Amino acid sequence: MKTNLHVLTVCGSGTVSSTMVSEKLKEALAAEGYTVTTTEVKPQEVVNYVELGSYDFVAYTTPVPDNLPIPAINAVGFLTGLDEEGFLEEVRTVIKRINNA
Amino acid sequence: MSTFDEDLILLGVEADDAEAVLFQLADLLHSRGFVKESFRAAVLEREKQHPTGLPSEGVYVAIPHADPVHVNQSAIAVATLKKPVSFAMMGNPEVSIDVKIVVMLAIHNPAEHLQLLRNFMKLFQDKDLLVAISEAATKRDVYERLRESGVVGTLPINS
Repeated sequence: MKTNLHVLTVCGSGTVSSTMVSEKLKEALAAEGYTVTTTEVKPQEVVNYVELGSYDFVAYTTPVPDNLPIPAINAVGFLTGLDEEGFLEEVRTVIKRINNA
Repeated sequence: MSTFDEDLILLGVEADDAEAVLFQLADLLHSRGFVKESFRAAVLEREKQHPTGLPSEGVYVAIPHADPVHVNQSAIAVATLKKPVSFAMMGNPEVSIDVKIVVMLAIHNPAEHLQLLRNFMKLFQDKDLLVAISEAATKRDVYERLRESGVVGTLPINS
């Protein structure tokens, strides 16, 4: 089972919101036994990073291209805390799919 | 170090649109030297491309910011609006929301200011606090509420 996850987090400037999402995600998934490594990028960098890196999924607060080869999950509800569970459910579904592949 | 003080609060701003609010807050930050001259245009452009209106409990908030290269020293400026103005929603730009509180973040090093950012995220889940801030009659009231609730109180903030 894969417990080391690589996540690309995306926001408009590749700094503020994506950093918050990264840190919250590391914490939330650590509680479930996963180690998360993240890279924070701007939307226009997403395609390159996805092609060059070995990322498991994308978590974004600003829209990303919809034809990415890996899952992309909207993280705004996670950021604001208004829909943390909804976001984490999507993340768990993606992790399950990775581990069953 | 982040700066937040009463003079970085604009109360009951009258503005026809988001741009007018962004101008006022960016100019305030610039007048005190926290941001470079380029910050205003950068924050405006960024808001168009990557909006920051956040759905929250009851009172909607926007958190406009810009790339750290435009920032000299981290600071926070807050505006409460007399009438809500329309901001596009973060992550979902087709949707517009009526924002009543604007928190402009001038962040020099996001990693260093993570706790500050997290505290602001907590603010968005506190409906009573958001209502109280949006209806506050004085700057001091806004300031005290943000301090007392711990949103800015636990940080090394100059004021």
